Amino acid sequence: MRRTIPPFLLQNDAPTSAATGSVSNSFLEKGIRQIASVIGTGYAQWEIASGEGLFHRLNARIKVLFLLAFIIVVSLKKQVLPEAAIGCFVIGLAALSKIDMISYLKKVAFFAFFFGLLIALPAGLNIITPGEVILPLFGLREAHTFWIYRIPQEIGFTRGGLTAVTLLTLRVMNSIALSFLVLYTTAFPEIIRALKVFRVPDFFLVTLNLTYKYIFLFAKTVEQMYLAKKGRLMAAESAAEGRRWIVGRMAFIFRKTQLRCEDLFKAMQARGFADEVKIHGFTPLTAGDWFAGALLAAAGVSFLML
Amino acid sequence: MTKNVLSVEEVSYLYYDRIPALSGISFGVTAGERFAVIGANGSGKSTLLQIMAGLIAPTEGRILFRGQPVTEKTLRDKSFLTHFRSHVGYVFQDSDVQLFCPTVLDELLYGPLQLGLSESDATARAHEIMAMLDIEDLRDRPSYMLSGGEKKRVALGSVLTMNPEVLLLDEPTGGLDPRTQCFLVELIFALNEAGKTIIIATHDLALVDELQSRVAVISEDHRLEKTGGAEDILKDNELLLKVNLIHEHMHAHGTVVHKHLHSHYLFHRH
Repeated sequence: MRRTIPPFLLQNDAPTSAATGSVSNSFLEKGIRQIASVIGTGYAQWEIASGEGLFHRLNARIKVLFLLAFIIVVSLKKQVLPEAAIGCFVIGLAALSKIDMISYLKKVAFFAFFFGLLIALPAGLNIITPGEVILPLFGLREAHTFWIYRIPQEIGFTRGGLTAVTLLTLRVMNSIALSFLVLYTTAFPEIIRALKVFRVPDFFLVTLNLTYKYIFLFAKTVEQMYLAKKGRLMAAESAAEGRRWIVGRMAFIFRKTQLRCEDLFKAMQARGFADEVKIHGFTPLTAGDWFAGALLAAAGVSFLML
Repeated sequence: MTKNVLSVEEVSYLYYDRIPALSGISFGVTAGERFAVIGANGSGKSTLLQIMAGLIAPTEGRILFRGQPVTEKTLRDKSFLTHFRSHVGYVFQDSDVQLFCPTVLDELLYGPLQLGLSESDATARAHEIMAMLDIEDLRDRPSYMLSGGEKKRVALGSVLTMNPEVLLLDEPTGGLDPRTQCFLVELIFALNEAGKTIIIATHDLALVDELQSRVAVISEDHRLEKTGGAEDILKDNELLLKVNLIHEHMHAHGTVVHKHLHSHYLFHRH
């Protein structure tokens, strides 16, 4: 073997770079770090959902039914105060479930701000919601009218408009708070399985579960591929090179998913799959589950009557 | 000047800031040495090798390459990055993740071109490596058209064309047929004789026995259990049993069924 070793391998002539300065993080590295954080988030969801808080102990079916029922209640309420009361109730349940309240509230506030307040805010202006202006912003020389629209001389928020914005933001906030409460207290595969309550077909549930699992597996593969490239990279690469690598890796992942799909199908066949997916049933509801379910149902009806 | 080419000092690592992968690991590897990190599945061997290769940063502790710290900060310095990457090569356990170029020849050219070698010098290196690894007939093939053993040879070749001083090999013989395993062991010896420092991560005790390397044993709770010569470590049944590298095994000789400690190196030791 020794005589087959190429002469260059016998020399320690590794180049020392004359290049100076620092290598900045490429968009590729930032992207890969984002993928790594996706994996971390997935793991965190599983770990947080494995806690021992009030809601963690409830059967997933009760939680999924609670989520659906309360989202309907939240959508039906037309006053700000009952909506705020529901918000307090949900946040109270989250606190009793001993989840990380700072992370929970930050997420709820973030989504409520972007998907609630920001979207609804223009509806508070008197251009869209006519009425008494209680918060004037600026004035025009004269009012303008075109087609069915009228732009008044004084632009500002109306009482009715601000009430509508508050109501819509609270609805979004409550829906997100409810969803995160269930996500923070239930492992994702359990949530999927609980969807059987709504007669979602088994093959759809299996597909969802597999998709969730393989997103994390392939995200891990992408991270490893990047590390392998990093091991042979001497400097920050250009954006064009980065894009070329990404395209190549996309093709690789596509092929790998195809092969994995074929292997998975063979594995399912080897264990008796014959065109019909059967997933095992639920853990039986305990007396505690029935009691908690009844309490939550009573709370839902009370909020509906408010 | 330190005599260690790579030093691991009190290295700990947490996956996703939660799952411990390594806990307070310290050892040094001298230039020209054959060194093996052994441990059961999930003990943190691959993570340790990736930290030693500067691919991921430890949560605590540090890595020194010839006395210079290898950190995210120092690796952002172009001069040090080139110096480190050209001296330390890493071969992944899963060759698929390592092969990202269109063809085998492109794989072999990628590293030397990154190092700033001219295209003719890089091509000469690639051909010499292909001849050494007996993969010349694969030069224009895409990596997905290769067998497991061929992929492993190409992955190794893609690092060897950079002529690294230190080679980190993660489970180098894992999943390979006996002939390819034999070829790799011979190659590791030849590279070591050529002056390369070889560091492997494995749970294959037969490989450790063949290489007669110095060994670091990582326990299932991710701590360094012991370092020592291959002979001493492989004789220590109590240690190997504790770190889950050998196990009690029941089997039959003709009509007689009996139990004894079993490891896959040296076949069955009675």
